[in-house]
Amino acid sequence: MSVDVAPVEHAFEEVAPPKGRHGAAAWVSWIARRLGLAVLTLWLVSILVFVATTALGDPVRAILGKDYNSDKARVAQLTAQLNLDESLVTRYFHWLGNFLTGDFGTSIANQQPVAGQIGDNVVNTLVLVAISAIVMIPVAFGIAMISTNYRRRRPDTVIQTILLMLAALPEFVVGILLVAIFSTTVFHWLPAVTISGPGQHPWNEPKTMILPVATLVLAVAPYVSRIVRANLLEVLDSDYVELARLKGIPERVVMRKHALLNAIVPGIQVIALQLAWLAGGVVLVEKVFNYPGVGNQLVDSVQNHDVPMVQALTLIIAGVYVVVNLVADLLSILLTPRARTAISS
Amino acid sequence: MSATADRATPAPTPAPAERSTFQKMLRQKRFVFGGIITLAVALFALFGPLFAPYGENEVVGPPYSSQGVFGTDYLGQDVLSRLMYGGTEVLIIALLATVLSTVFGTLIGVIAAYGGGWWDEVIMRLNDVLLSFPQILLALVVLTSIAQPKAWMLVVLVGLSNAPRTARIARGVALGLVSRDFVHAAEALGEKRSRVIVAEVLPNMNAPLLAEAGLRLTFSIGLVAAIGFLGITTDPSAANWGQMINENRLGLATQAWAVLAPVFVIALFTIGTNLTADGIAQVNQRGGDD
Amino acid sequence: MTNDNGSTPEGARFSRRQVFQYSGIAAAAVGGASLLDACGSDSGGGGGGGGTGGILVHGATGGSAKDTLDAHRPVQNADIARCFQLYEPLLYWDHNYEVQSAVAESVTPSADAKTWTIKLRQGVTFHNGKDVTPEDVLFTLQRVAGKEPTSAGVALAPIIDFDGTKKVDASTVVIKLKTPYAVLQYLLAEYTLGVVPADYDPAKPVGTGPFKYKSFSPGKNSVFVRYDDYWGDKAKVDEVHIQDFADPSAQVNALQAGQVQTIDNLPYNLINTVKGQAGQIIEAESGAWVPFTMRVDSAPFTDVRVRQAMRLICDRQQMIDNALSGKGRVGNDMYAPFDPAYAKDLPQREQDIDQAKSLLKAAGQEGLQVQLFTGDDIGSVAPASAALFVEQAKKAGVDVKVVKKNPFYGDDYLSYPFGQDFWNTRNYLPQAAVGVLKGGTYNETHWDKAPEYPKYAQLVASAAAEVDETKRNSILQDAQKIEYDSGGYIIWGFRTQVDAVSQKVQGLKPSKFQPLGNYDFKTISISS
Repeated sequence: MSVDVAPVEHAFEEVAPPKGRHGAAAWVSWIARRLGLAVLTLWLVSILVFVATTALGDPVRAILGKDYNSDKARVAQLTAQLNLDESLVTRYFHWLGNFLTGDFGTSIANQQPVAGQIGDNVVNTLVLVAISAIVMIPVAFGIAMISTNYRRRRPDTVIQTILLMLAALPEFVVGILLVAIFSTTVFHWLPAVTISGPGQHPWNEPKTMILPVATLVLAVAPYVSRIVRANLLEVLDSDYVELARLKGIPERVVMRKHALLNAIVPGIQVIALQLAWLAGGVVLVEKVFNYPGVGNQLVDSVQNHDVPMVQALTLIIAGVYVVVNLVADLLSILLTPRARTAISS
Repeated sequence: MSATADRATPAPTPAPAERSTFQKMLRQKRFVFGGIITLAVALFALFGPLFAPYGENEVVGPPYSSQGVFGTDYLGQDVLSRLMYGGTEVLIIALLATVLSTVFGTLIGVIAAYGGGWWDEVIMRLNDVLLSFPQILLALVVLTSIAQPKAWMLVVLVGLSNAPRTARIARGVALGLVSRDFVHAAEALGEKRSRVIVAEVLPNMNAPLLAEAGLRLTFSIGLVAAIGFLGITTDPSAANWGQMINENRLGLATQAWAVLAPVFVIALFTIGTNLTADGIAQVNQRGGDD
Repeated sequence: MTNDNGSTPEGARFSRRQVFQYSGIAAAAVGGASLLDACGSDSGGGGGGGGTGGILVHGATGGSAKDTLDAHRPVQNADIARCFQLYEPLLYWDHNYEVQSAVAESVTPSADAKTWTIKLRQGVTFHNGKDVTPEDVLFTLQRVAGKEPTSAGVALAPIIDFDGTKKVDASTVVIKLKTPYAVLQYLLAEYTLGVVPADYDPAKPVGTGPFKYKSFSPGKNSVFVRYDDYWGDKAKVDEVHIQDFADPSAQVNALQAGQVQTIDNLPYNLINTVKGQAGQIIEAESGAWVPFTMRVDSAPFTDVRVRQAMRLICDRQQMIDNALSGKGRVGNDMYAPFDPAYAKDLPQREQDIDQAKSLLKAAGQEGLQVQLFTGDDIGSVAPASAALFVEQAKKAGVDVKVVKKNPFYGDDYLSYPFGQDFWNTRNYLPQAAVGVLKGGTYNETHWDKAPEYPKYAQLVASAAAEVDETKRNSILQDAQKIEYDSGGYIIWGFRTQVDAVSQKVQGLKPSKFQPLGNYDFKTISISS
């Protein structure tokens, strides 16, 4: 899946602040409302995750595979461990209670605590996403500024068309193309997969990070860049900038001081939402590069029917999504003077 | 060429549908170019099987050899022939899923917008829950519990996972409409709510929804291909672009065409639909002055 | 069947006396080796083993969060590779698929093959420094074949009599059987029967193998360090890292990039790729097979003519050429090709579409439609051969629809009317015990429901009790004839074991039994 659009728009709407209240009280009530909604969303997600994962069929058989018929001891042990004889509702609340107290359960595939196994992968994915973001932000803004500079002329159109094409490509297609170009078919410059030794992280071998990061940047940057450009154009066409121009301020300064600052708010929000998207969207990219992150682990766990792992991983991903959404909203309110005044006045 | 105020904001401000919209689209280079690509790939996918030099599963030589235009695949089947066979299913599933998500999403969005108040709040909150579940994740969790998915299951899954996204757009567009005069007029005349929606609100949403549908089609193609890429398939021996990538990935260094050929058609297809969708969106936004 | 070093004349193997003799030879050889080794480690000081030292990174096929270090529950290739480093059974299968002695110095049956005396090798120690005692062996047998047998003990559990199985003296154990079993050495040589100490804890695994446990992260990697007090040839490398690869293309890429030095089960269609990129291919004939399985108690396969027709439909050479890239030998619907009893005189079955059609017509099954169940978890050869079979069946007017199960080894495993499976190298009797006999764990063809079964089962039972090898083989050949004529397997070939190692790897000998010379990492040295 390529970058999705709808949530961005959603965030813009939600920014609409409550009216007619005063000062701090209004702030508190606004934040409380948003927090409440976030918690509600997470709770509904947890139900969805739980129901979806328990619908996976008999996990015991799936785990033991060919050994199901010969290893009765493990069958009994796993059935007990999964509480498969209790009702769905009881199991759900039992699980939710444990989850809230930080007990993610025990992986049924290998009998080790889920939390311990997820930790490293979460870090790996976060680092991958963070590096991608650090690379992506200047790239996206840079391209947007170049494009705006040539606005409505040929270079702008060409850039926009290329961005539009890149935005259309599914990320695994981008990943495979990069592997073909840089690792296997055309050149042999970069490793095609990530391999990290025991106790190591992928970035200990920085070369292996290049292609996964490049893939994610190519998946996200076109979209961010287009939004930033649109905002830049809007600002540049505004009376406010026109006035600056009339005052004789050079175009370059206008661009940097006036336009960019005003375009940054929606930019932040888009970036935040893209980061949230990345947390789930890395599944395919991690799969292409065998990157030891949550996405790869999730695919593995789903195939193993490792219910506690799938539950923990999906909830974490959904949680990241909701939290980042919330932060993006807060940031845009704080950074938009109009919205700020609307809340507190 | 004067691509004017090319705003890329995802939610096009609703413009009343005009008779000449399609003519305006035709004057859009992006729309025409994207449309031609989309049409070409679609024709290739639909009629490919009629012109394929070999059968879908015919063994024509040793695995990963260079016989034929694109060589052979992991099993010694002709890559070009499989490419020609492998698009029909991707195309049809993606198309039907898009239709489903558009119909379903529009309904949800319009009901929320028109219902307002609690209706709006509850529906959109549930919508958010579905949105916070990455699509590929939903697909993975559901599809692994099914031994071998039927094609209609993929349609439903992809369609429903797209629906909340369409619903959001539809609600935005409908919100702008429900407060307009002609709706009020219809209500004042005592028309039933459902009739107002069907007769007054929906027809006026056409153009923005068409752009949204184009976008959904792009993502649906990607998602259907991604599902195949993860090795989930309706028929393991049948040719399917996503699955071909999965089957032949190992041969990327040996016989790159077995992977790159399907990769390129998927890329072309998504680029085509995205350009088309963008063309439509632009016409909506600024009346297509070219 | 070939005999790489030509050491043993066929048909003379595994006789009771010879087990004893082999063990003597092996012991002598080991003695010599240890002597040399002792010199090496003395002079080498900390360098160790007289080898080159260094770290060997093995890229294992498969592996997931399900990985285990349990000596008796290995599931996939990565688990098996780890087993070979940590543990050793009483006996073991050597490179030529012949039984040799390991932790046991000798294994000697009584004349009626009901009482087996096991003499333990002196000086074999666990990684915790303790000597191997009869108590440890008894614990191991209980753990594997006791009340809750593991899959390793399925063949042993029904025949072992724990009341009579006991310690005789400080280095001798006697295994008592309920019924005679003339080839117990086959079972004792399985890698799933590694000897573990009586206080065994899989979380802190201890065995007698050439490497000891250092760390383990399921689905990712595990580290083992050389065990310097190993009784046999000590390892040359200092450490072995076993890295899991769920994705074969990642595995091959890693080899090419020099990130791993060995990989097992190289996909067949990549042999030329790896060769071209400065890797070495390790090939060995194996007895591993990926059959089609037909349930003899499920329509339309209840009719023996349908089963025969399906066997005649199969183009065995094309299977080998396209599913195995030519790396394999044509099969004849019988398993255990390395068993001295293998019925190699039966005529080779070939594709015969006309004959198949007329059999189907006679059975009233013209235009037959069947579903063929397959899955990725069987291994990549299975879906490939399934796809090939679809096309081959078309020629006989049979419409085969492939259904991919995920997982294949799930709820419906063993109930697929027409499916696939994978089997590794095994001799006839142990294979029959798990695969076709009543009560066998993986009785996928439901052969026990066939009308021919009583006669077959009686033959197998009498063979198991027959201590005279020539007579036993002849009885087993009669049993194989029945399966050849009316069994539920389509065994189209035996695959060649193909593994790849980097150019830097030296000293690895191919094996007919398991990949990479039975994962014999202790023999590997790495040049820089």
